[in-house]
Amino acid sequence: MSIQVKDYPESQTKSNYLWEDPPDEDKFSACVHCGMCLESCPTYLETGHEHQSPRGRVHLIKAVAQGRIELNAGFEDPIFTCLDCRACETACPSGVKVGSLIEQARGQIRKSIPLTGWKAAVSKFFLRGVFPHPHRLHTLGNLIKLYQKSGMQTLARGMGLLKMMPQHLQNMEAVMPEVKVPVRKKYPEVAPAEGRRKMRVALLTGCVMDVMFGDINEATIRVLVRNGYEVVIPRNQRCCGALHVHAGDRDEGKRLARQNIDAFLAAGVDKIVVNAAGCGCALKEYPELLHSDPEYGQKAVEFAGKIEDVAVFLMNHGYQKPQGTVRTRVTYHDACHLAHGQGVRREPRELLRDIPGVEMVEMPYADRCCGSAGIYNITNPDMAGKVLDEKMSYVPEDVELISMGNPGCMLQMAIGVRKHGRSAKVVHTIQLLDRAYQAEGESGK
Amino acid sequence: MQAQDALIRELAVIVGTGSVLYREEDLISYECDGYVIHKQPPRAVVFPATTEEVSQVVKLLHRRKIPFIPRGAGTGLSGGAAPLGGEVIISLVKMKKLLHVDWENRLAVVQPGFVNLKLTNSVASKGYYYAPDPSSQYACTIGGNVAENAGGAHCLKYGVTTNHVLGMELVLANGEIVEIGGVPDAPGYDLMGLLTGSEGTLAIVTKITVRILKNPEDKKTVLAYFDSVEDASHAVSDIIAIGIVPAALEMMDKTAIEGVEAGNYPVGHPPGLQALLLIEVDGISAGIEDQIEEILKVCKQRNVIQVKVAENEQERAQWWANRKTAFPAMGAISPDYLVQDGVIPRSRLPEVLEKVEEISKRSGLRIANVFHAGDGNLHPLILFDARKPGETELAARVGSEVLKVCADVGGSITGEHGVGIEKQEEMRFIFTEEEIQAQTQIRSVFNPENLLNPDKLFPKPSRCAEVRKAVGHL
Repeated sequence: MSIQVKDYPESQTKSNYLWEDPPDEDKFSACVHCGMCLESCPTYLETGHEHQSPRGRVHLIKAVAQGRIELNAGFEDPIFTCLDCRACETACPSGVKVGSLIEQARGQIRKSIPLTGWKAAVSKFFLRGVFPHPHRLHTLGNLIKLYQKSGMQTLARGMGLLKMMPQHLQNMEAVMPEVKVPVRKKYPEVAPAEGRRKMRVALLTGCVMDVMFGDINEATIRVLVRNGYEVVIPRNQRCCGALHVHAGDRDEGKRLARQNIDAFLAAGVDKIVVNAAGCGCALKEYPELLHSDPEYGQKAVEFAGKIEDVAVFLMNHGYQKPQGTVRTRVTYHDACHLAHGQGVRREPRELLRDIPGVEMVEMPYADRCCGSAGIYNITNPDMAGKVLDEKMSYVPEDVELISMGNPGCMLQMAIGVRKHGRSAKVVHTIQLLDRAYQAEGESGK
Repeated sequence: MQAQDALIRELAVIVGTGSVLYREEDLISYECDGYVIHKQPPRAVVFPATTEEVSQVVKLLHRRKIPFIPRGAGTGLSGGAAPLGGEVIISLVKMKKLLHVDWENRLAVVQPGFVNLKLTNSVASKGYYYAPDPSSQYACTIGGNVAENAGGAHCLKYGVTTNHVLGMELVLANGEIVEIGGVPDAPGYDLMGLLTGSEGTLAIVTKITVRILKNPEDKKTVLAYFDSVEDASHAVSDIIAIGIVPAALEMMDKTAIEGVEAGNYPVGHPPGLQALLLIEVDGISAGIEDQIEEILKVCKQRNVIQVKVAENEQERAQWWANRKTAFPAMGAISPDYLVQDGVIPRSRLPEVLEKVEEISKRSGLRIANVFHAGDGNLHPLILFDARKPGETELAARVGSEVLKVCADVGGSITGEHGVGIEKQEEMRFIFTEEEIQAQTQIRSVFNPENLLNPDKLFPKPSRCAEVRKAVGHL
């Protein structure tokens, strides 16, 4: 049989990944190029381009490792156009860890092709300058609050100043939630359990979450203590680093991971509860991020074993079914980093169904990405907008609430609701549960 | 370089600049399809959105004498959509609409890039489905299915793609647009039969009319475990022999089971099995239970270790996901695999499997067997590691040997995956030189300049044929 073999064995060529922590060969060799992932990928569905599909991206990652193509802008584009939604990991028959490969490839690209211009400035300001520093985040939060409360927002909107911004940022400004007092400032380090203490847990308050969505953290604490859990809010915790790892800044991601491991392991808790899908997924993957760290590798494994999404935590360790009624029609959006990243689909739906008065309407393609994807909607507004439009076409017409478990998705879906002239409100699953508990008081129980 | 730029510009005039790929990094993803042994990037990839654009693109390439290849999702397993050098790929993924459903006449009209499973999903609400169900149906396109005459697990009872295609719109090698078929059993030659399975060497299909079927009233699925491949094979023959035509009758051997259990969709099959059968019967409710009873009886007579009927749709779906992802799941136990696609008379199964085992031992490469046992369509998965020097070539040789065994017992070298690049030479196992020539003459009627997917499907003319021809001219 005459077979012309045109493959290029690694043994004969040199990898073009020149820095430490390159994409793992074991991970990309598991890909057998079957293409079962194609239809799960939002960017492939949008473009139809093989290199904008999971299979194509893994093929390129492998080609760089084999020294067949350079680590250049042509490689950078598909790797950074990936939403990191991981729908392909659910679809993949051989279990290729595409998300982790993409993150490792991004790390190599950022070392090789550092960002320049406004992207560099924005990235440095937020990823290195603000997110890792709680005080600066709170200051930024206060500035936004000042903007919202002082009349500046009304003035800016009235004068049409916002029209000078790109459309996607205008949309974001319009739906930005009112900044609340972060729970890290409002609550003591330990919130005692109501009644008999069942367990001591820590809460990841998150960086953006605590500033923009402090009320969700408050709802989470209320729900936990009501169910007999003592909640510790470790003061030394930091941003989880997911955004950094997604952006290719693995050094900063690792630094934050080490700090969080120290902060949470010192808290002496049984579990670490997370109410943001993206953060939960990132925390669970610390062992992978720090696998070559002699000091933290093992600690990361212990740490990751304690991480539970709040819905899963309540289901696993028990909670009281609410007696209060919340009469509403709800649909549920699977955050990618819950459904695909952590395999969590059932628990949040059960929580919602347990609330008296809630009528659940399933959304088709509920686990399709909304386009938020960390800061993707800021860095890739065009693609994010198209992915969002697709998502909105699946949201049932007659629902009053769209429930989900991730703040990034909440912001993006709120933009979608506004852009498409819909009336549904966006809510975190735990807020709805909290509302049902509150309603118990109202009905005099 | 100059000529390349001019070509790209002209293509872009037809389809728009965003719909032509030509940079090296963008082309490298198109260097192979699901058959990864051969790799060669195309000259360019173009994405027409309409039949008219396909026609314009083909006219341009025809005028410039540039060869071209139609491509769907690129899930094919024989290299049908892989370039050999210098071709332009015409990707049909932007033509992905369901154009029309005629409920009364039970047919659907789709564009070639429409994904197989989406058709079933689109008509499911009214109780219909599209029968051909290749395991890649989550991603593969109906245009690609037509090119390869794709089969699937349920083709035992319902037939392969050619049995479900009623009409086609084609763009010929010179860019002309024609329609064929449309009415069942039209007089004259069966052109649709010829086009279906022609692997993109005769025309580009731009619109397809297919049958849709009413969902069977009832279906039941059985999973049976065996500690000998021979017992399982006999059970297959016995089931057919007693007159049952199952909708599907699938088998996996020990290594295949190891693969699927290590993959993303494990069922939790007990360890140490030598073989399992997945059997499905469907039809009107009355009689299904009786068929199941008989199947269970046959399995017991053939020393089944454990046999169970799916309790609900969820369990059934889990068994099928496990089976349908069997090929790629091998990625979990081996860096690379090569899947073969032999067909044998069902009665020769135990004997053939024994020979496959011998080949495996001799070569030192593991072979997992997954097959549509009901219609004798074997899929030996040859596991190898392309990083080891010489192992890729060895795997290809082993594949060829397996096909020789199939041909020698009166079978064939492909059931549903097509010939492509992979099995060109093996065509000689089942066709004489004259028979091959007769077929290339038919090709020349449609594709006289060999621009459409050139040098695929048939072996290169052999030396002896050339010599004979030369002698004939003397």
